[in-house]
Amino acid sequence: MKIIACYSNKGGVGKTATSVNLAYAYARAGSTVLLCDLDPQGASGFYFRVKPSKKLTDARFFEDVARFTKSIRASDFEGLDVLPANLTFRDFDVFLSRMRNKRSRLKKALVTAGSDYDVIILDCPPNFSTLSENIFKAADQILVPVIPTTLSERTLEQLVSFFEKQKLPKKKIKAFFSMVQRRKTLHLETMEKMRKAYKKRFLNSEIPFAADIERMGQNRAPVSIYAGRSAASAAYQALFDELENGVVSTK
Amino acid sequence: MGQTSSFFIIPGKFDPAGLSDALRGLTPVFEAPTAARPFDLLDCHDQSLRAQGQLLIASGGTLRLLRGQGDVAVQRCKGKGTFVQDMPDGPVRSALVGFPKLRALMSIGSGKVETANFAVLDDLQKTQVRGSVLSLTANDGQVALVTVHPMRGYDRSYQSVCSTFESMADGNGGIEAVFHSLFSDATPYNAKPEVKLGMQEPSIEVAADIIRTFLVVARQNEAGVIADIDTEFLHDYRVSLRRVRSVLSLFKGVFSPEQTDVLKREFSDLMAPTGRVRDLDVYLLEKDIYFNLIPANLHQGVEAMFAQFAKERTRALAGLSRRFRSAAYDQKMNDLFALFADTKGLEPGPKADRGAYDYACALIWKRYRKVCKLARGITPDTPDQVVHDLRIDCKKLRYLMEFFAPLFDKSDFKKLIKPLKKLQDNLGLFNDYSVQQEALFEFVATQSNSQGQANAQLAMSVGGLIAVLDQRQKAERDRVIANFQHFDSPDIQHLFRTLFHHKED
Repeated sequence: MKIIACYSNKGGVGKTATSVNLAYAYARAGSTVLLCDLDPQGASGFYFRVKPSKKLTDARFFEDVARFTKSIRASDFEGLDVLPANLTFRDFDVFLSRMRNKRSRLKKALVTAGSDYDVIILDCPPNFSTLSENIFKAADQILVPVIPTTLSERTLEQLVSFFEKQKLPKKKIKAFFSMVQRRKTLHLETMEKMRKAYKKRFLNSEIPFAADIERMGQNRAPVSIYAGRSAASAAYQALFDELENGVVSTK
Repeated sequence: MGQTSSFFIIPGKFDPAGLSDALRGLTPVFEAPTAARPFDLLDCHDQSLRAQGQLLIASGGTLRLLRGQGDVAVQRCKGKGTFVQDMPDGPVRSALVGFPKLRALMSIGSGKVETANFAVLDDLQKTQVRGSVLSLTANDGQVALVTVHPMRGYDRSYQSVCSTFESMADGNGGIEAVFHSLFSDATPYNAKPEVKLGMQEPSIEVAADIIRTFLVVARQNEAGVIADIDTEFLHDYRVSLRRVRSVLSLFKGVFSPEQTDVLKREFSDLMAPTGRVRDLDVYLLEKDIYFNLIPANLHQGVEAMFAQFAKERTRALAGLSRRFRSAAYDQKMNDLFALFADTKGLEPGPKADRGAYDYACALIWKRYRKVCKLARGITPDTPDQVVHDLRIDCKKLRYLMEFFAPLFDKSDFKKLIKPLKKLQDNLGLFNDYSVQQEALFEFVATQSNSQGQANAQLAMSVGGLIAVLDQRQKAERDRVIANFQHFDSPDIQHLFRTLFHHKED
């Protein structure tokens, strides 16, 4: 099982859109996926038309295996389940370690319920907290969308230095440029600068700023469902390919 | 994920509106149905799948097995005319693991099928339940097979969709509803139907009832023999006629001696042309066993022998089919059926009016004593012929008990039949091994030239087989005494006496 956290300490960078489209790409490739909506402002659940569960605000939630497994909802797509949430997560690290531990009650309950997920995607809240620290420790990969602007540059810097201070493996950080507008000189210049500064941190794939992605809110579905041939859809597929297979799109 | 689906059978034409009306806050959306395609409902002749509440539908090269609570297995495979053990591995084959080995799948009925998937959506257009409707249409009517799949976290909607379908099924939801709606004529075949008898029913009526019943059973197998679906058709045909013949020979004095003789000859004439095909069927069915009896370096000769058998069977079966299709045969069977339709055309013998129960007790008791007398005298030195005679008498006893079973207590009979069956199985094998040896001798004789010389490969193989079969026959014979002692226990003796021998008579 692989845990991918979609994280940024800055809001509005395309985190939820990435979680949703990536989760769909994994499911379409044949993996069983659980998308956990951990961001109280996030809308992963919304994009899959799954109504948030009102009763999940309890901190002890993750200790209650039965309640946890019961809260999972099937999406409309084969192999893709959603854990809708408005949660506070004191015990999230416990939860994540249990997800990994084959002998934990949580894991057993999931296996019994027929959902031993191949991939867990976490749509994280945009802040530094105990939760984010736990996520950094537990996740295999931390996917960080970065808008190529000066402000985003600073937030990535903060994240990387946090990892250095806490002696966390920086290798886990997979940054990529998000909401890219190639006609803006500033974007192109910032991207060039940052790729040089963080040579090993950036993926080659980038997600353009696109109306098709903004329309996710109206369509309430992954981009490739309603705009399968769009540049945005291709970009998310390329991101998946690079992440999963190390394949770099030549486009 | 995880949960199993549910399955509903809804007789008549399926109306999607019925579902929309019944669901509050949820909207079912049906896809346009696929173009109608032909389907066959498969089962074996005795409809053993139906008896277990299973439906096997073949359409467009795909088999779909539906069982009770929404359990659906699907496999791409041709079904018609195949034996389950010959099917490629797959979910349907594994689900059919208990299917009779000697029975082939055949079409019980056919029609057209349409498939439509549906989704049940909430107010956000989120799918909460999925399902599919298989609409089957045949000449007799229509039926819809609905499968409902739960989606994780939407149990309540799943429950309400299921209960809606349950009320649409209206308690008629069993597998039988499919047969009633589509193929009302497809009555299940029973090789051994119970013949209803009255305690005081005159023996001549009992005899006519039994004979009529088994004439019907025999006729139900003719088409299957002609189509060569599997070897059980001819076997059942022969067993039915054998039962008729045993009534004629065991119910002494029920018909006049003259009529008894005529009938015996007629039924013997019906049976005779079937013997060779059956013998060859048995050899061919046991082909693998034969190969396992002898070492691989002797296989070549046996291979040649079986090729010969297969060729001869084709020829013999063609002859038999021609006979079954002939007008003369049909006329003969119709005449016999008319004769036994009531007792008017039958000439009563001296025992014709004796009450069924009395007569049954007398016949069974007499036969039982004969079996005991014969068996108790068997020692390791007794000639084989006596063992053969014992087999015949056991068979007669068994037939008598089966004919009259409706007049006696079921559980008592079970107790008696169980050890008797074991003894019979033993004697049957003893007989089979002996018959097979004779057949092998005869086969080599027909393959030999006028000086009595045969092909060496063939002779070696057959010689090897005969040696092994002889060993086996001896081993079976050794078991006869022990098996009879088991049948001859004081309990069984007592039960026979209580049931069939009343001192005051």
